[in-house]
Amino acid sequence: MKRTLRSLAVLGTVAALALTASGCAQGEKQLTIAFVMGAESDPFFQAMKVGATEEAAAQNVKLVWQGDPSHYDVATQVPIVDSVISTKPDGLVLIPTDPAGLQASSDKAVEAGIVVANVDTHTEDTSKAVIFITGDNGDGGAKAADAIANAIGYTDGETYQVVVGLTSATATTNVGRLDGFKAQVAASYPGIEIVDVAYSQSNPQTAASNVSNWLTKFPNLKGIFAIDGTNASGAAAALQAKNLVGKIALVGYDAYPANVELIKAGVFTALIAQDPAEEARQAIRAIVAKIRNNEDPASHDVVIPNVTLDANTSAADLTKYTYVAN
Amino acid sequence: MTDSKLTSQGAPSGFNWKPLATNQSTILVAVILLLAGVFSAGSYGSFWDVSVFNNILTDWGLIVLLAVGQTFVVISGGIDLSVGSTVSLSGVVAGVVMVNWMHLDLNVKNEAAIGPLLIALLVCIATGVAVGLLNAFLVNVVGIVPFIATLATLGGGAGLAIIWSGGMPLQGPNFYGLVNPIKFGEVSLSPISFAVLVVAIIVTIAGLFLAKARFGLYTYAIGSNSFAAKAAGINVKRHLTWVYVVSGALSGIAGMYAYTRLGSGSPSSGAGLELQAIAAVVIGGTSLMGGSGKMLGTILGAFLLYEVQSGLLMVGMDPNWKQVIVAIMIAGAVGIQGFSFGQRRK
Repeated sequence: MKRTLRSLAVLGTVAALALTASGCAQGEKQLTIAFVMGAESDPFFQAMKVGATEEAAAQNVKLVWQGDPSHYDVATQVPIVDSVISTKPDGLVLIPTDPAGLQASSDKAVEAGIVVANVDTHTEDTSKAVIFITGDNGDGGAKAADAIANAIGYTDGETYQVVVGLTSATATTNVGRLDGFKAQVAASYPGIEIVDVAYSQSNPQTAASNVSNWLTKFPNLKGIFAIDGTNASGAAAALQAKNLVGKIALVGYDAYPANVELIKAGVFTALIAQDPAEEARQAIRAIVAKIRNNEDPASHDVVIPNVTLDANTSAADLTKYTYVAN
Repeated sequence: MTDSKLTSQGAPSGFNWKPLATNQSTILVAVILLLAGVFSAGSYGSFWDVSVFNNILTDWGLIVLLAVGQTFVVISGGIDLSVGSTVSLSGVVAGVVMVNWMHLDLNVKNEAAIGPLLIALLVCIATGVAVGLLNAFLVNVVGIVPFIATLATLGGGAGLAIIWSGGMPLQGPNFYGLVNPIKFGEVSLSPISFAVLVVAIIVTIAGLFLAKARFGLYTYAIGSNSFAAKAAGINVKRHLTWVYVVSGALSGIAGMYAYTRLGSGSPSSGAGLELQAIAAVVIGGTSLMGGSGKMLGTILGAFLLYEVQSGLLMVGMDPNWKQVIVAIMIAGAVGIQGFSFGQRRK
């Protein structure tokens, strides 16, 4: 019995030494990076998690993934960020749900010596963040305007009623896309009139309800811009329920697998897709480079272009841009 | 002597308006009609349309299922915060069963989808019942107060919905016609859809159970004084188990309703609905202290919530006003409760 125990102890010591040696061979201490996103139930963040997990494994980083299960809300995010900061990670990737509301928490993290990166949305002052990576929301909004104009056969001199479904009035992605959409409409399609906007608060039921009411209020409605995946799901359900598929142009955002299926079914005129996994990869790379080599990224603000997916997009591209979960 | 007694006690001495005017349901009907008038005027008549009422009733159908279950729980002296996440969870489980296990996709639609949807309905009810049993176990056996017990299942349910769906809506078979107005030939004269009709039947049965059956009597008795109820021979724990199971089962049906409406089981479809359900119950005049309340009030309270939501959009007001108006309605409802209680005591 004693001999067995001794053998086990020797084996354990050898194994521990081997593990230490392999760590030394890599020559780098494992870093801990916390990733606080908006709402776990949003497929956009699930796709982001795939990229973050891959990159963390490649860079010998322990990833701490956190966020509210379903509410994209500043009130629920602040306590999560603050408790994450108290665990003293080496880096923090933050997707602030509100630019002003998360500023204090972000500053607190920087003061504690944590390297902060902003992804997708940003705090009011991004100067202390090592990098800010986002999809080009303005460009995405402009592409949505082009897609709607194309689908309704826009001609100068005619007027067309269009509505926009948003999640909240303050999310910077929503604001950026709406601004891009409005700017493109003003510049190229003056006959398009944005007659109303409404908020879904991240619930597809509310988005469907808003669109159902619009279909009654505006019998001559020509187009809907659903500004994110949740709004896109709700709007698609409402149009299908009212048998208006193909009669009203629907341009959505975010390539949820379910919504990509609906491009093929003709429900979506187009979907504007981002590359959330790539955003996460670049954020982790920038934090690791800053901590290990004190290297700043080549550019502080990185904009990853969006793409328009529609019936003419190749199957390969549809697969490439469709959001996947772990 | 006899005559004078009759005159002073039994004979009608004019219409007594106070009980009627302070009755929550009467006031709610008046407020619903008043708001309908305001929204109609504000929208130049377009609010007064069959399709608008179809929209309101479609929203109502989801929340009233939760609110009816919540009414039983609140009258029994508890609260059920898990109803919103049970909507998400049961919708997701329905999606997993149809999409991942039965390998059906969105091309199975209309009449062909009825079979799978019925199976999904049973799955949703079973999921809701399981959540209800867990709530009852935490409250009755572990002895956790209902607020905390159901807060735990709210978080657990929301988490499981995300894990099992991978955070993505699961899109499967559907029959959107179920949520559209029932048509007579080519014309839809009424705003009622098949789904809303089914909900109305469920709600009526639940209302009768509360008002007329022993089940309701026991619920009021436990909510008023659980010690007295126990002393009177009511098996309080067994009854409370049934109350949470009913709330869970109705939330499961609501999960199927949400699936039918969206054509997918979405992990965010129930987000925040627990507070809407509680708001409907409180606006309907049920006291959060337990022991009093009426199903009709809840049904009208739920309608009012969505009348305001649709009305604001039809009028073109900032949708954020909904929260302000709902807050005023909750304060008003509780104020009226206090006033009616004072009247009764007099």
